[in-house]
Formats: sequence, C-alpha cells, structure tokens
Amino acid sequence: MADIKTKDFSKASAVSILDPQLRRALRQVGTGFDAARRAAIDEVSPKLWDEWREEARRIKIHSLDHLDYYLDLLEQNVTKAGGHVHFAKDAAQANDIMAELVRTRNIKIATKSKSMVSEELSLNPALEAQGVDVYETDLGEYIIQLAEETPFHLVAPALHKTKEQVAQLFTDKLGIPYNDDINALAAAARLALREKFLQADLGISGANFLVAETGTLVIITNEGNGRLSTSAPRIHVGITGMEKVIPSLQDLAVFLRLLPRSATGQRITSYVSMITGPRRADDEDGPEEFHLIIVDNGRSKMLADPDLREALYCIRCGACLNICPVYQKVGGHAYGWVYPGPIGAIVTPSLVGLKEAQDLPQASSLCGACREVCPVNINIPRMLLHLRQKSAESPDPSERSAGLVPNLLAEGYTRVMRSPALLSASHKLGRWQQNVWAAMPFFPFSKKGGMIRKASLPLLSRWTRMRDLPELPKETFRDIWKKDLKEGP
Amino acid sequence: MPGRIRAISWSQILSPVAASNTTQSPLRQSRLPRSCLSANLTPADPAQPGERLSSNSPPKADLFVTCIIDQLYPQVGVSVVRVLRRLGVDLSFQEDQTCCGQPLYNAGYSKKARTLARRVLDTFEDSEYVVVPSGSCAAMMRVFYLDLFRDDPAMLKQAELLSSKVYEFSQFLTSVLGAEDTGSTYSGTATYHPSCHLLREMKVRDEPQSLLRSVSGLELTDLPGAETCCGFGGAFSIKFPHISEGMLADKVENVVSTGADTLVSCDMGCLMQIGGGLSRQDSEIKVRHLAQVLDQDHSSNS
Amino acid sequence: MDRPLGVPKAEFLDSVRRALDRKPAAPDPAYPRLLDDVSALQVEAKRIRARLIETRPALLDRFAEVAEAGGWNVHRTSDPENAMAHIQSVADSLGVKNAVRSDQEVFAQILVDAPLESTGISVTTVSHSPDRSRESLRSSIIAADIGLTGADYAVAETGSVIIMPRKGLSRLVSVVPPVHLALVRPEDLVESLDDLFLLRRLEYHDKGGEMGSYLNFITGPSRTADIEQTLVVGVHGPKEVHLVLLG
Repeated sequence: MADIKTKDFSKASAVSILDPQLRRALRQVGTGFDAARRAAIDEVSPKLWDEWREEARRIKIHSLDHLDYYLDLLEQNVTKAGGHVHFAKDAAQANDIMAELVRTRNIKIATKSKSMVSEELSLNPALEAQGVDVYETDLGEYIIQLAEETPFHLVAPALHKTKEQVAQLFTDKLGIPYNDDINALAAAARLALREKFLQADLGISGANFLVAETGTLVIITNEGNGRLSTSAPRIHVGITGMEKVIPSLQDLAVFLRLLPRSATGQRITSYVSMITGPRRADDEDGPEEFHLIIVDNGRSKMLADPDLREALYCIRCGACLNICPVYQKVGGHAYGWVYPGPIGAIVTPSLVGLKEAQDLPQASSLCGACREVCPVNINIPRMLLHLRQKSAESPDPSERSAGLVPNLLAEGYTRVMRSPALLSASHKLGRWQQNVWAAMPFFPFSKKGGMIRKASLPLLSRWTRMRDLPELPKETFRDIWKKDLKEGP
Repeated sequence: MPGRIRAISWSQILSPVAASNTTQSPLRQSRLPRSCLSANLTPADPAQPGERLSSNSPPKADLFVTCIIDQLYPQVGVSVVRVLRRLGVDLSFQEDQTCCGQPLYNAGYSKKARTLARRVLDTFEDSEYVVVPSGSCAAMMRVFYLDLFRDDPAMLKQAELLSSKVYEFSQFLTSVLGAEDTGSTYSGTATYHPSCHLLREMKVRDEPQSLLRSVSGLELTDLPGAETCCGFGGAFSIKFPHISEGMLADKVENVVSTGADTLVSCDMGCLMQIGGGLSRQDSEIKVRHLAQVLDQDHSSNS
Repeated sequence: MDRPLGVPKAEFLDSVRRALDRKPAAPDPAYPRLLDDVSALQVEAKRIRARLIETRPALLDRFAEVAEAGGWNVHRTSDPENAMAHIQSVADSLGVKNAVRSDQEVFAQILVDAPLESTGISVTTVSHSPDRSRESLRSSIIAADIGLTGADYAVAETGSVIIMPRKGLSRLVSVVPPVHLALVRPEDLVESLDDLFLLRRLEYHDKGGEMGSYLNFITGPSRTADIEQTLVVGVHGPKEVHLVLLG
C-alpha cells in the first residue's frame, strides 16, 4: 500500500495552509473547476440534474447490494470475450498478480494511464522491483511521478505545481531547455511519452466503470493517453476496485452525463474508451492479451458496514474537493494518503484504519457542501459523523481513539446539560471567572460592545488567538424569561 | 409611514393553510430506512406551509431557545419572543430545557447525545410547534435525531413526531405564519450569511432574505461567497483553529467587501465566529440575529 | 499461463457475500435493463430508428452545433464533391504528405484516395492483408500527418463520433496522427447516449454476446488542464480535429 502519513494531518495542514503558492492554486479550484461545474449544471437545468443524480444513485445502490452477482457476471463476460480476470484481496496480492504477469510475459516497459487504485496499491514500486520501467502518461500524473510526489487532487494530480516548477522539473529530469510556456510543456511531455507508448509491452489502466452485462471496462479521459495505453502495447492490464461494476450497458449513459460535468464542467470528455477483451483475431491493432485485476483491499469491510457502504458509490469526480472549504485551505497532501478531500476523509480511514487516520473525519465543519454537489448524492457529512461515533464509542478498541480529555469534556458537558440547575451554576461560575480575569493585570483584556477584546486567556487561546469572545452576560435568557417575559408582553 | 405597516390578520396568516390542508400530514411520515440505503433522511418537507389543522385559534408554539442564546446572547432570545408574540403566537418556554445534544453528536458521542435528546423529546412531547432560533439546532432536532435513534424504533417514532413539529425561526415565520412582511423597521445596510445547516439540512434558502427585504429602512446587499462555511463548526473551530481561522478570514473579507453595516444570520454560532473575527479587526460592522432585526416594529420605534 | 492469479473467484465472491450478508442468488426482481428479452429491445430499437429518421434535419443541426462546441471543426455538406474539396483544402493547409485512412463504407461514397494522391499525398488504407502486415501499417500510422475515419455512430447529445475498431478500422488511425478527420453520414446519427447504448445492447445480443474489442467516443481534440488549470489542446492525441458532416 501507499505510504500512510494520515497521522500528520494537523501538522501538515498547518504548514500547507500558510503556503502562498498553494493558496493561489487552491483559490483557482473554486473559480475554475467548480464554476465550470455550476455552468454545466445550469445548462442542463438543476431539475434534470437531480433526476440524473437519483438515477445514478439507484444504479449504484442496486449494483453494490448485489455486488457478488455482478462481479460474477462481469468475470464470465470478460472471460467469454477472451480476457482474464484476477481477484486480489489486498494490495500485496494485487501487486503479486501484476509481478507474476510482467515476469511471465517478459515485460520491460509499461505505460500507465491514470489510476487512483494503482496509487493506493503503490503499484509502480512493485513493478520497478520486477525491473519494469513504468511511465505515468496522464500529464498531471507524469509530473508528480517525476517529482516523486503523490496526487494533490483526484482529477488534477499536479494542481499544486506552477508552470515554472514544472518547467524546472522537466529541465532537471528530461534534460530539456527551460521553457515555462504551458503549451511547450505539454508538447515536451507528448514527445517524451510518445516514444514510450510505442515501445511499451504493457499498458496499464484503471477503470471508471465496469459493465457486467458485456464484460466491458470503461475509461474516461481527455488527453488520449488512455487510448494509447490500451491500444498500442501488446498487453493491457486494467486494475480497479471491485465497486466499479454496474449492471447494464444502458446504465452507462447517466454516468457519462454526470462524471465529466461534475469533474471539469465538460459535456463529455474528449474520449470515452470501452474495452471488451483483447483484440479480436481480425482487428488491425490492440493488445493480444487483456487482464483485469479486481481489488478488494478493504472495500468489503466498507460494504459490510451500512454506515459506510455509501462511500463506495463514489465515481471519483472530485467535485467535493472543489467545493470543500477545508480542502481549499489545506490542499490534497495534508490528507496524508491517496484520496484527499471530503470523500478521502471517509475512504482513507476505512481503508487504512480509523485509528491511523482519526483526524480526517474530525477535520470538517460539517457544512454539507460536499453532499450538495455530489453527483451520486453521497451523504458525506453523515458518514463523517458515523466515523466520529466509531472513534468515540466503538466497542472495537482498534477503532476507538478518543482521548481522555475529550471523553471527560463530553462527560462533563452531558452532566451539566442534563441538569438546568447545574447549567445555571456553571453560568455563575463562568461570570466569576470572567471577573477574575478582568481584575488581573497580566491578562490583556478589554471590553467593548459586549465583547471581550484581544484577550489571551488560558484554556481559550485556541479561540482567542484570532477571534474576540462575547462577554458572558449577567443574566441568561431563562433568567430574563422568568423575570420579564413569562407573563406575556 | 403608517402605510408601511401591514397588519397581519389571522385569515391572511392562515390562508395558505386552507390551501394545503390536503397535503399529507408530516405526522404520518413513513418509517425511515437505515441511513445508508436512503439518499436522505427525509423529514417533513419544510417548504409546505401550514400544517395547522385548526384555522381560528392563534398558533401555540414552544420556544427552544438554544444554549448559546440562553447563555451568551439572551437579548436575541428576547427579540425572538417579542417578534413571535407581535405576530400573535401563543408562545411558551419550558424552563427545564438545556441543549439539543448537537455538540456531543458532532463529536461522535452519540450515546451521550441521546441522553440529552431524550430530555428534549420529553420536554416537547405535547408541543404543537417548536420554534428554534438556530438553523443548526433545528437541524439537529428535525433531521439528526432521526439518525441518532435509527436503531431504536420506539424512540425513532417520538423523534419523527418532534421532527415534524420543529421549525427554525425564519421558517416558522414564513411557512407556518405565512408572514411576508413582519412590519419591522431597521435603519442600515445589511448583508446575510446563510448558515450551512439552515441552508443544506433545513433547506431554508430564501426565507430569511425575503423577510429582510420587507424590513422598512433596510437595504440588503449580496454577500460574495455567501454559501461558503464561515469555519465555525462547533468544536472544529478549536480542534483545528488554523483551518477554521482560514475559512473565517475569507468570510470576514467578503463581509467587509459588501460595505454593509450589519451582518445578519440565523445562527449565533456563526455570528460568534464571524463577529469575533470582525471585532478582532476593529470592524464597526454589527452582527445581528434575524430576530433582532425584525424586533423593532413601527409602533415601538423610538 | 492462462490460469487466474490471486484468490479464486469463488472465494472472493464468498467474501463479498459475507459482507453483504447475502446468499448466492440473482437480484430479485431482475434488473430491468438486463432482461434478456431481445424482442422488447427490437421494438424499442425500431421506435428509436423511426424517430431518428423523422427528426433527422433537427438532429443534424443539433449535432453540428454541439460538435462544434466540443472542439470539432465542422464542415456540413451533402455534396460529395464539396466534401472532397474540403478534405483537400484541409490537407493542403496542413501541408500533409502522408495520410492514413480506415477502410469503412463511407470511403466508397467519398473517394478520397485518387484526389489526394494526385496532389502528391501518399494515402495508406489501414487494413492488413497477407501483403500488408500490421507492423508495416503501424509504421505508416506513426508517419502520418493526418488520419481519416468514418463513424460507426455519432451522438447529437454530446457531439461525439463513435468508432468501433475492427478489421479495416484501426484504433490508432484516429489517435496517433496529429490531425484526425472524421466523415459522418446522416444515418450514423443518434440523438442521445440512451439511444446509442440501447442499440448497442441489441447488437450485442444479436451477435450472440459479441461486443467487439473496442468502442471509442471521440469528442473534439485531445486536451488537458493539468498545469495551472490552463487548457492545452493536443497532448497525446490529435490537437486538431475535423468533422465533415454529410447532410
């Protein structure tokens, strides 16, 4: 599996939030991707859009509820078309399958179109260990491969890089003269990779969808690298999570409408490629062998949990990242693993372990914007809450991670709120504390318009370092009610 | 000036009721399936005005004042009471109410949240309406209680009953009372911050702004990036202060950019956050709950 | 060598069933879009084809408009000579020396080879035979300045040209050369993705479950916005795409 740095979320996000370049790049996410998404939805009408979302959701619910059946059907139809299906229960097994394939077929060069699952598995190092040169061919993935980083965004992996950085990277790694014109950079990548496509023995792709009825792998791309990777080499291996299967060819229509619009605001991407088995005997070109590796790697655990199954409906469009005010502040790397943003805050703890990634579900104001934009209407905030429940109360000690202090605070809060008398008493205590602070010269403290201003108070510094506090009033509402309001105006 | 005052008669207030009495009573909501299989837990559609069955008596409502208003902003509660009474609501306040349990629920302490939620369910068992001057607390009671009690059929039934009776303040004014103009007056330029739970869980988008537009002397200006969270998020604001502050900085910048002298919202949590940020910047912009803006009617204007 | 690797399928499916708490069984009720009732599909397909003929003029307009918006350079003509003249002018303006084309029906209607060759362009039809190996054809494609294809379908909803590679229709002709030119006939046109997938389902079942190895949607040029969210056309695929709509 890919390196897990989820424990560093607090630290990493505190650093990334101050990075001026990231802030510029992230501000563009709202003005670029999200604005394009909105325009695309307005064009189809929000009402029709909601009908599509509901249809897509129904398809996903049905597919996942009968996943065993559709995986079986898919396997039969891929096999019937001359392909081979391999099932992997975890990352190690998936990488072993790949290693076995490249060993027995004497693969030296592989080109890869974008695949989040392969990032999850850390497939590239596994292939390199077999002596295979692997080239990422999606421009963004290529950049981060050269930079030895992980994707910053589901759809735009190198979103955080400036053109100057990419130009310097290309100069350092490809030995070409520095040129930071974006067209020139794309042309340089085309030139470098074109040669690899034609030399490669193996093309690797992910899958956006798998159609059980026909045994078809569907990939949705813009650059053409997906077409080349799945057409030019003599072997094509598709590798993907088991949740990607949908029943019928007809189910594809709604997803082709939702995914490009949600991801980039496009009516459709430049290319949609549907691959069913290897090339047929009489075809002009295409791979002689087609393999499909279907990966569990923790997904069956999500499937078994009614509170998390919904996360498997995700079609990886990235819309929830683009709208998320937290993602827009901290960026993709702070999330510490492969899947960033709101959906990442659910998928990551589910796949790497909740205790390992306990901060991620907490790092949300639960504003719900992610759910509002999700093309399959995934209730992301609800799942974040359910993960928080597991952290706080799960009977399974491998999930429970809440510390003593939060536990005591929650207990204390419950006790006070259970008793109106205790609540009144705590208000009085707070007033007393406030007066004590006010009387002490060493706490800078001023009052104005009902606010405690520019205070630096013990216990409250996490609030007061950037915000003023309302003054605790003399009377609570219930005091005023009893005195003035109870008997009517 | 007197021409501006629109007396609201009972027939006016209740007219939408007669028209929509045939719609399915929210009290007869079907059992909700387990969360993951339904897109949304669907509480009663708040867009349907007037579930009142009798058409002549003034509506009886209980105020759930919320702990933040009770403890920190009692004057907001007073304004809520005054506005509702002015509009003829027979308003009560159950004095043993405390917290809806949302801080615990949001932190994952669902068992403890249920302890507090049970108190709320008992307190408002016999209420006709429960009015909540917070989109967030209202969402807790209307939407999240259904999740909280999803594995307890008996309690779920009680939660569904409460869910159908809970209204956020502006929603109660527009949907139940049918008020389009509260006959209020306020002098100044205001901008409105829609709180996230009000917007996305309670589905209250336009109501507060249409009420503000009816206020005499108030000019409403659009807030850029209005629907982006202010970064409060309860405990989130102190668990991850750096992220919360970053979000707050954007919100403050947008509020200041409007040139408004008053920021209005329907949630004191957000206003504590944004107001705290504005105050730290020595901004003169006032933060007001919607009820405070609607509080002043013409007759008491002095 | 063909033995499946990893966990045996039965074991994998068992673990999925355990997660779902479910016994092996087909969905009940059966999924409507998987019913093997070919006659129902035929009825629906007939209805679709009738509608497509009836609405063809409007459909052609819509397709041309959406395709143009999707990045195709659209040229509309129902006159074969005009179509040929346009193809010639595209080739001339690009200074094409080597062209490759597929072997599709439309090239019996628009005879491109002789006119292009008369202006000194070498035209290779990519269709392997005992005399023309796949390897030599691949070299021709790599050397080509333009690739010409027909369309198996065209979708008005998305402005897409659909190709289904097979004998005579290479996968690479429309992606490797820097320019792609597609010829679309009115009868290729369907209105929506729903039309397309229903018709494809019927064909799939009619052919006893043969889907063909590849189906590709092409909509405009190759593009990326991976650097600073700035749009660049022509990354790995063609940077320029022309569409001649014959109607």
